[in-house]
Amino acid sequence: MELYFAGIDVGSSMTKAVILNNGIMASLIGPTGPEQRRLANKVMEEVLRRAGIPFEIITYIVSTGYGRINVPFADKQFTEITCHAKGITSLFPKARTIIDIGGQDVKGIKLDGTGKIVDFVMNDKCAAGSGRFIEVIADTLGVALNQVGELAIGSKNPVMISNICTIWAQQEVAANLAQGVPISDLLAGVHRSLADRIIRMVHRIKVEEAVVVTGGGGKNIGLLKALSEQLGIEILVPEEPLITGALGAALLGKEIVEKAKANHLPLKIKERILEEIEIL
Amino acid sequence: MVEEQKEAKPKKRMTATQAAASITAMVKEFFKEALQARAEGKQKLAYTFIVCHHEEILRAMDVIPLWTENFAGVCGAKRDAERFLQRAESLGLSRSLCTYALCGIGFDQWREELGEMPPNAPWGGMVRPDFMISSGQILCDPRSKWYQASQQFMPDVPIYNIDLPYPLFQRDRDHREVWDYYHKYIVKQLRGLVTFLEEQTGKKMDYDRLRELVDLSDRTWNLIDETYSLRKAIPCPMGTGDAMNTMVPINFMMATQKAYDFFLNLKKELEEKIARGEGEVENEKYRLMWGGGLPAWFALNDFNYFNSKGASFPVETTYRMVAPLDQMDLPETKDPIEHLAWRWLGFWTFWYDKAKKRPGSEPDVEHLINWIEEYKIDGVVMHEAFSCRTWHVGLIWQLNQLAKIYKPIPVFVMGKDGKKEKVYKELPSLILESDIIDITSYSEVDTRSKIDAFIETLESIRLNKAA
Repeated sequence: MELYFAGIDVGSSMTKAVILNNGIMASLIGPTGPEQRRLANKVMEEVLRRAGIPFEIITYIVSTGYGRINVPFADKQFTEITCHAKGITSLFPKARTIIDIGGQDVKGIKLDGTGKIVDFVMNDKCAAGSGRFIEVIADTLGVALNQVGELAIGSKNPVMISNICTIWAQQEVAANLAQGVPISDLLAGVHRSLADRIIRMVHRIKVEEAVVVTGGGGKNIGLLKALSEQLGIEILVPEEPLITGALGAALLGKEIVEKAKANHLPLKIKERILEEIEIL
Repeated sequence: MVEEQKEAKPKKRMTATQAAASITAMVKEFFKEALQARAEGKQKLAYTFIVCHHEEILRAMDVIPLWTENFAGVCGAKRDAERFLQRAESLGLSRSLCTYALCGIGFDQWREELGEMPPNAPWGGMVRPDFMISSGQILCDPRSKWYQASQQFMPDVPIYNIDLPYPLFQRDRDHREVWDYYHKYIVKQLRGLVTFLEEQTGKKMDYDRLRELVDLSDRTWNLIDETYSLRKAIPCPMGTGDAMNTMVPINFMMATQKAYDFFLNLKKELEEKIARGEGEVENEKYRLMWGGGLPAWFALNDFNYFNSKGASFPVETTYRMVAPLDQMDLPETKDPIEHLAWRWLGFWTFWYDKAKKRPGSEPDVEHLINWIEEYKIDGVVMHEAFSCRTWHVGLIWQLNQLAKIYKPIPVFVMGKDGKKEKVYKELPSLILESDIIDITSYSEVDTRSKIDAFIETLESIRLNKAA
């Protein structure tokens, strides 16, 4: 019998889902949003449609992310730390440091080179240092979010952004803009400032190569360049950095099933009913 | 300025021991007694700080100590500190200063402005002192600056500052070479306190009574050490969550029979629990050490959250401000003041000799290593309270030092029998971030997400070891 595993990562900004059997069958990335927060079932329906399989035949489902408890049909929940470690190790077996740059927070995860987590650090107090910082600045500059990275790497003369608070940095950028500083120089400065804050935080876990950047930040070439320059090392990025948490969740589900089978233990799974959560 | 806004009332924390559950009533009693004493005017009341080894002197002179840090902690635990912090901010004091001090200063300013207790003051509020006893800067600077700031609103209330230093650790030097000098200085400081109290109370010190109280404290110290050592049992009968309650008699009730009796009862309770095989957690899976940092008083329920994941806390460095006196090798003296000074020095240098024997160790780290081994610890949790600079800086350093010993790889250990043994001396750590009483620094969701990730790490280590 074919086995199928689902991972669903309900993040603060985006919800991601992966269906796995021998490899990734389908994946989905969509905004979490205030309404979608309770609609993990809709995300699952869509990713199943893409995979072309019915919900009932999913062998095991793992949820992760901030909203992991809002997935009533998940058989088990794991934190993003564990899921990213698992997902990244499957793609980069020699990874020692993971930097997950999400919409609302940043995490640093230290691995021992075999996929085991040794340490982690999280910034959960402030938008500064997260994807939200770039979103605010992009908005101030009137630049589409998917263009900020490209514009930043074209800069020859990055400006210094000294404010560490997102709101004050926004004002600093606006003031520079008013003085005619080119947008590319401003964006390069913003990315440097963001990279600087991220590195300061992840240094706590002692950054070691190979370093993999995941999350939305992995899609921003300006930020990756700034991180690489400031760390002085090459940065690795998955082909789709947003789904590594969901992928890790699905892989953890696979491990649980395999262990249960190997040890002839019963597998505890939920009834396969796709419905939205009632508590919200 | 928002003055009346109260934060959401915290849920009552579940305790593992009856002794810990009895603490709230005890603390309420302190406040009631202080209010009564103020009304009667028979006894003098003194603002003061914990960990000064001066309780015996205060009690021998019938002075009632008003523990200002305790009051701030109560405000924090009741989630009612914000209005006092805002008061202090409106006086121009930064939120990044010690929030215990800010809470106290804000409260003092408000009480003095009104000429009565601020509305709905937690547990009746902190009464106006007759004098204030601050305590130098070796532990933290607010311990001398806080009362200076509060004196602005109470200019008629005098301050006596006792300076209690101790020799800092030097690997290549025996601290005993210099401690006679320190001792002489501390004795002078304590005798100065006696003179100050005699002036303030109009009474002479009864040295026989002081000797009795010092003896009572010494016996209590040893009893506490014996009692807390019972927590080495597996499963652990009492965790750090409870110890954040039982710190009350250690830090606020020394030199009282009540404190001694409390620990007699706690010892009995723990012995009974051990005999029944009853742990803090029903199925103990992980044994954690609270390795440093003051707790977030408004979030003590996080200890229950750890417990719900099978994690118990058999030991903590925070607030265990005693050490076994028989292991201190203190010079003999019949003078109680001299003994207090020796005890102070003995306590703060307690880990020096052991640290010297381990290459690269330091007393603060040696302390952790010893307890990690003795209490069979699987992981270390610390709390970086942003406003407590004294602890904050050292915590990261301590963890870095520990990481040099506890590596995530198997190491060979040479046993006493000369055989090499492969062991995993891995010790993951977790740093929680918020504050002692400033709830605006805290996110329950994020904190618990960190705890979940830490538990998953512990579980993965456990499974790897088993494999």
